[in-house]
Amino acid sequence: MSYSTFNRKHFDSMKEPMFFGENVNVARYDQQKHPIFEKLIEKQLSFFWRPEEVDLSSDRKDFQNLEPHEQHIFLSNLKYQTLLDSVQGRSPNVALLPIVSLPELETWIETWAFSETIHSRSYTHIIRNIVNDPTAIFDDITVNEEITRRADSVSKYYDQLIEMVNLYNTLGVGTHTISTRGEVVINLRELKKALYLTIASVNVLEAIRFYVSFACSFAFAERTLMEGNAKIIKLIARDEALHLTGTQHMLNIMASGRDDPEMALIAEECKSEVAEIFIDAAQQEKEWSRYLFKDGSMIGLNAEILSQYVEYITNMRMQAIGLEAHFDTKSNPIPWINAWLVSDNVQVAPQEAEISSYLVGQIDNDLGDSDFDDFDL
Amino acid sequence: MLVSEKEPLLPQLERAGVLVDYQCREGYCSSCILKLLRGHVIYPTEPLAWVQSGYMLACCAIVKSDIEISFL
Ligand code: FES
Ligand SMILES: [Fe+2]
Ligand SMILES: [Fe+2]
Repeated sequence: MSYSTFNRKHFDSMKEPMFFGENVNVARYDQQKHPIFEKLIEKQLSFFWRPEEVDLSSDRKDFQNLEPHEQHIFLSNLKYQTLLDSVQGRSPNVALLPIVSLPELETWIETWAFSETIHSRSYTHIIRNIVNDPTAIFDDITVNEEITRRADSVSKYYDQLIEMVNLYNTLGVGTHTISTRGEVVINLRELKKALYLTIASVNVLEAIRFYVSFACSFAFAERTLMEGNAKIIKLIARDEALHLTGTQHMLNIMASGRDDPEMALIAEECKSEVAEIFIDAAQQEKEWSRYLFKDGSMIGLNAEILSQYVEYITNMRMQAIGLEAHFDTKSNPIPWINAWLVSDNVQVAPQEAEISSYLVGQIDNDLGDSDFDDFDL
Repeated sequence: MLVSEKEPLLPQLERAGVLVDYQCREGYCSSCILKLLRGHVIYPTEPLAWVQSGYMLACCAIVKSDIEISFL
């Protein structure tokens, strides 16, 4: 049961299930049980980018000229994105690596999580370029009630799975008495169920929650404001499109039963619970949009329109994994988002690689923020 | 509407004024998914996005017969 970093058993890794089979031993990619994960790895590697390559010098001025309620929208959205990528930069690794059984899937998980760390690094790049005191923004993420409520719902399933897998790896299946928790029953079926629900909630995180935040980022760019930020978000959106395809594949492969027949039964049994995860998330996102626009809306976007987008995108994502659409909203209320999301012309100009904002960020680190109070980019 | 096999369906729909959502325009995000009610399409390279039977990805599907499609 306990995890082995190099499993000594002889087995045919082509016959292993995605999860809860043997621990992976040889990292080989010449053969794959599910070639899709190898393709996702290659695609993700081809997307590699560095946040510092994007010039944010005009964003600082734009930000200073925003109305206070617009600054609230921008910063709250950025804090939410920071939270989501903080979770995503570690959780696929912590939750899924101990239980994965296929080398190509193991490496997809690592590649996926690595790209999330680039997203996290880009928020630091953005924040230190638009405000003098990044700490005030980062600190608020752990204390602001509106944000911490989001944190609970995005980390809940991951944390449950991690706890169960920890017990499984230390104590094995069976009924255990744990001093802090009393009697705990660990069995493989419950573990698989926790895994299925976790993957569904990750799909919700990346395919719904993130897209709602993208809409806010791009709404500024629609008014030719915060365009450096939009450029970064466009790169993030390109990665997220791949990630959500990854979790859709996992869910659909599980539901098909061709990987692990028991997973098909679990998928069937969890159908309404998964639908609930999507619908609850949509509800939370609508509440969030009321918080964003509490002091006023902006040209092109308000709580009403954003909530319609929440419903629209939730419908789309539910149908992608074989669930019925839940909301009446049939068409995209913000069709302009497509032109921002489109990845075909995402290009980072090489001459931007050593732009001043990056260097200023570095210097900031050493000198303290007040040194640049009067420094205008 | 008369469509050609020379390019995917999406740009042809757009030129005809039919707006379909898109993001990647190369088969990995599934934003452009449509219901394929009748007919036959092929993919010159297999898309990375999951395509259930009865659905199609407009951005990379080549239309091979009369088809009937609808939005989700
Ligand atoms: S636009 Fe991404 S799959 Fe078609
Ligand atoms: Fe991310
Ligand atoms: Fe992601």
